[in-house]
Amino acid sequence: MPLALRDLQAAFAAHVVGGDRADLVAAVVGDSMSAEARLRVYRHHVAHSLGSALAATFATVQALVGDAFFRSMAQGFIGQTLPTQPVLDEYGADFPAFVAGYEPAASLPYLADSARFDWALNVAFHSPVGRRLAAADLARIAAERLPSLSLAVPEGATLIGSRYPLDRIWNASQSGATAGTVDLDDGGADLLVLRRSDDAAFIVLAEGEAAFVAALIDGKSLEAAAEQASHADPSFDLSTVFARLLSLEAFAALQQRAEGEG
Amino acid sequence: MRPAAGIGLRAPHLAEIGRDRPATGFLEIHAENHLGGSPARQAVERLREIYDFSVHAVGLSLGSVDGLDEAHLGRVGELVKRLKPVLVSDHLSWSVHGGHYLNDLLPLPYTEEALEVVVRNLDRLQEALGRRVSIENPSCYLGFVQSTLTEPEFLAELVRRSGCGLLLDLNNIVVTAHNLRLDPRDWLKALPGEAITEYHLAGHAVNDCDGEPILIDDHGSRVGDEVWALFGDALRRYGPRPTLVEWDTDIPALPVLLEEAARAERMIQQARADAARAA
Repeated sequence: MPLALRDLQAAFAAHVVGGDRADLVAAVVGDSMSAEARLRVYRHHVAHSLGSALAATFATVQALVGDAFFRSMAQGFIGQTLPTQPVLDEYGADFPAFVAGYEPAASLPYLADSARFDWALNVAFHSPVGRRLAAADLARIAAERLPSLSLAVPEGATLIGSRYPLDRIWNASQSGATAGTVDLDDGGADLLVLRRSDDAAFIVLAEGEAAFVAALIDGKSLEAAAEQASHADPSFDLSTVFARLLSLEAFAALQQRAEGEG
Repeated sequence: MRPAAGIGLRAPHLAEIGRDRPATGFLEIHAENHLGGSPARQAVERLREIYDFSVHAVGLSLGSVDGLDEAHLGRVGELVKRLKPVLVSDHLSWSVHGGHYLNDLLPLPYTEEALEVVVRNLDRLQEALGRRVSIENPSCYLGFVQSTLTEPEFLAELVRRSGCGLLLDLNNIVVTAHNLRLDPRDWLKALPGEAITEYHLAGHAVNDCDGEPILIDDHGSRVGDEVWALFGDALRRYGPRPTLVEWDTDIPALPVLLEEAARAERMIQQARADAARAA
């Protein structure tokens, strides 16, 4: 009895991710090269190509643990989370959570945060550049309206906080980095990951700055965000921080409507 | 587009091509790598002002019994609308089942049922894009007991029912023929030649499978001698078409890729001269 195409594809999909299907094996022509061996070519390719896609996206994690360990961890993830669409740079959003719970990596407590950082870099890289807020845009807004202004980070930007020095770990993992050690007790990192014109990049934030940006992302006004930042860091100075972040193009341009009003 | 040899545009070569603008017939991109807003996508849009483009999809899954993913189709459609490529193509294969994408060009049984599924999906694709799409013969590592048509027969029938074009991949013919114990020259003979819109050339690897050599379509080396010879046969039988050299793993320095394309270009010109002499 030939398999209906629907059943054949269901069996094939199950088989390539490791679930042996006798009905599929029986449907494949075997000769001196067996049906099982022929099907293994596809099984191997699915595993290898998805592992490679994850390795490309999570390059820091791969550099930290080495290829063999990474491949094995990736297979565990692939076994429970296949892509749901064909754009592979959008595959792996759940990988950091998987890494966090991956028993063999339990001795590397910073690994899951490095994975989150890799994912944020990946998302930023594939986001449009978008226009950024410039000092000239603000000059068109009446001074009394500034405190109530809401600002957004650029499309695809992520604020990441970690108790580990993710930026230094990332630096050390880059090819060509000079050998050295990163002291994990050296303090954490707050990073705003965002798209630059030809790459993804990150801004290292001081504690008050991170609280400020987090409040803005939550939709708070400039004034409310500054107040929140002052709680986190009593020395927070709005004008200094705002000028610095503006010069680093850390904010998206204001929406057209707001510009028109200004 | 005048039949000429082009190259697959890959990330490691983007900056060099943008800067040096080497002469080549056209550039082909994988649709799925350029659907976001990455710097590569921006670079492609700039290069589009200089080069003809071909958009080659790998993830539409035209053989899926569940039909096409409309969201993905929409994104590919947006890219095609934006780039206005000379050619658009995908494969005779499937890669999606139950909402999961398996990232491989999985084989179909060549049956009437599969034919109806692919024709239905192709109709939807060509309708959505408002243009003809070409279908590439895949590299196969197995055949199905229930197949009632050969691969060339299946492709010919697909052309007849859907009006699609054919993207003839000579490397895939060599790989499939070796692995399924077929004669590549027989395979090549039985196609509707006027439907062929493009040729693909690439290298393959030879691996061990159950103690026997199996050819693997890895696009990781120069085009092999057997593939060049079959390309010569195709040029004599069906005439010149835009011809692409693909290289996707162990990607070499750009001049190596351009050298391979130059060899294809010389063969195209030779075929044209031979045809003119014969006429």
